[in-house]
Amino acid sequence: MAAASSNLSRAWADWWDGTRNVELWWTLAWYDIVLRYRRSMLGPLWLTLSMGLMLLGMGPLYSTLFKVSMSTFFPHLTLGIIFWNFFTTTINDGCNVFIFAAPYLKHAEFPGSVFVWRSLARNVIQLAHHMVLYIPVAIWAGVAPSPRMLLFFPGLVVVIINLHAMSITLGIACARFRDVAQIVMSTLQMLMFLTPVFWFPESLPQRAHFILYNPLAQLLDVVRMPLLGAAPASGTWWFLLYFTALNIAVAAGLYLLKRRQLVYWI
Amino acid sequence: MARLVLENASIDFPIFGAHAASLKQTLASAATGGRIGRETGIAVIQALRDISLDLRDGDRLGIVGHNGAGKSTLLRTLAGVYPPIRGRYFRDGTISSLIDPMLGIEMDATGYENISLRGLILGIGRREMARLTPDIAEFSGLGDYLNMPVRTYSTGMMMRLGFSIATAVRSDILLMDEWLSVGDAEFRQKAEDRLRDIVSNTGILVLASHSPELIKRECNQVIELAHGVQSGAQAGDPVAADPVPVPG
Repeated sequence: MAAASSNLSRAWADWWDGTRNVELWWTLAWYDIVLRYRRSMLGPLWLTLSMGLMLLGMGPLYSTLFKVSMSTFFPHLTLGIIFWNFFTTTINDGCNVFIFAAPYLKHAEFPGSVFVWRSLARNVIQLAHHMVLYIPVAIWAGVAPSPRMLLFFPGLVVVIINLHAMSITLGIACARFRDVAQIVMSTLQMLMFLTPVFWFPESLPQRAHFILYNPLAQLLDVVRMPLLGAAPASGTWWFLLYFTALNIAVAAGLYLLKRRQLVYWI
Repeated sequence: MARLVLENASIDFPIFGAHAASLKQTLASAATGGRIGRETGIAVIQALRDISLDLRDGDRLGIVGHNGAGKSTLLRTLAGVYPPIRGRYFRDGTISSLIDPMLGIEMDATGYENISLRGLILGIGRREMARLTPDIAEFSGLGDYLNMPVRTYSTGMMMRLGFSIATAVRSDILLMDEWLSVGDAEFRQKAEDRLRDIVSNTGILVLASHSPELIKRECNQVIELAHGVQSGAQAGDPVAADPVPVPG
């Protein structure tokens, strides 16, 4: 019993040591971005530019296909793609957090959470470069500023907590079972079509509403709705409360039991 | 007061080959009651067996043994990388590992950027690092090249940078895989002096090497590893309790 509780406090201390070393993981994440674009003229602006081009291509096309007006569709699509891209790149990177950190983890005793935060921070920096695009889109579409937009921030916190927990879980699972990364990638590809990234949830027939209860659709709701000037449904918050608790429990359990064994697998 | 202890420590590496690591095989074995055990059975390499050490300030331990005998694994275990499968590991004091002086070097970053990045990785505060940087820069002798991306460096220059950063800090315990020797004739002498200085100032030194002369020169005790086992007369004995003096 004493051994179990001391392992718990050691796992917690390990996670916290990595988490509070913000300077380290932020700098590593920053270099990940900066070095990738160092030799290009526009630098990280390419992130913004390539996303912008994709949106310009898809917006008019899909609004015609779906027969919805551009001014309601374009903000929805912009945020949908930006956040979906953020979710999937973070989750896919999450699969490799520990595998790619092998040189560090095999050299000295590093807290694993450093590398999970590094991946998350890198993706948040990318998200910030993409989010800039929403400003002209919102102005063009006449999205009225509203105090409900502030709900975006608690929404983002919920998203980050969940992505952090998922990265720990998947990072450990993928270090042990190399197929998991492939499974995750294929599942995310499929989920993109089952999540209202492009289409509107309202156009779904009632009997198909259950597909909105995939966690990524709910996470998308909680950051997209506020920025469109609407409040996410209370059901969304409740769903995410339970999902987050489950997510944290799984990640914490794996971190507690497998954190030290991990280095044998990479 | 530095201390480094292993008590009957064993390290096993599971080898997840093409047949064992995949989820499919594990699931298949669950579904078939493990009858295809040969496919799912995880091969294990016994890297270290019942190693016992008790090192204190002033101890200079040499590790000898053939390739694959477990020298590097033992160094990494002492660094706290591999938690022993059985047995106990205990450490008191700051540790610095010269096993990989090139750890975390980013090719597209400049020399200076790499110095500060590496400082963060080693856990040195920003202020301390600002103080150390001019020394590191001067010692490396790379001059204006430090403003250039590291990918433009020659192999020797890269090693000089890595060495200069890795040896800039002192610690209670020093782990080394072979004696580091880098650069041209002129730098080699400087590097030798620096290494000598940090070795003589460290509490505990653990040095893995293939060179008997080196071990004889630097160490006051030695363990020989063969197939992950402490071999010879000292097998099973804690070295500090019964230090084996190096002949000569």
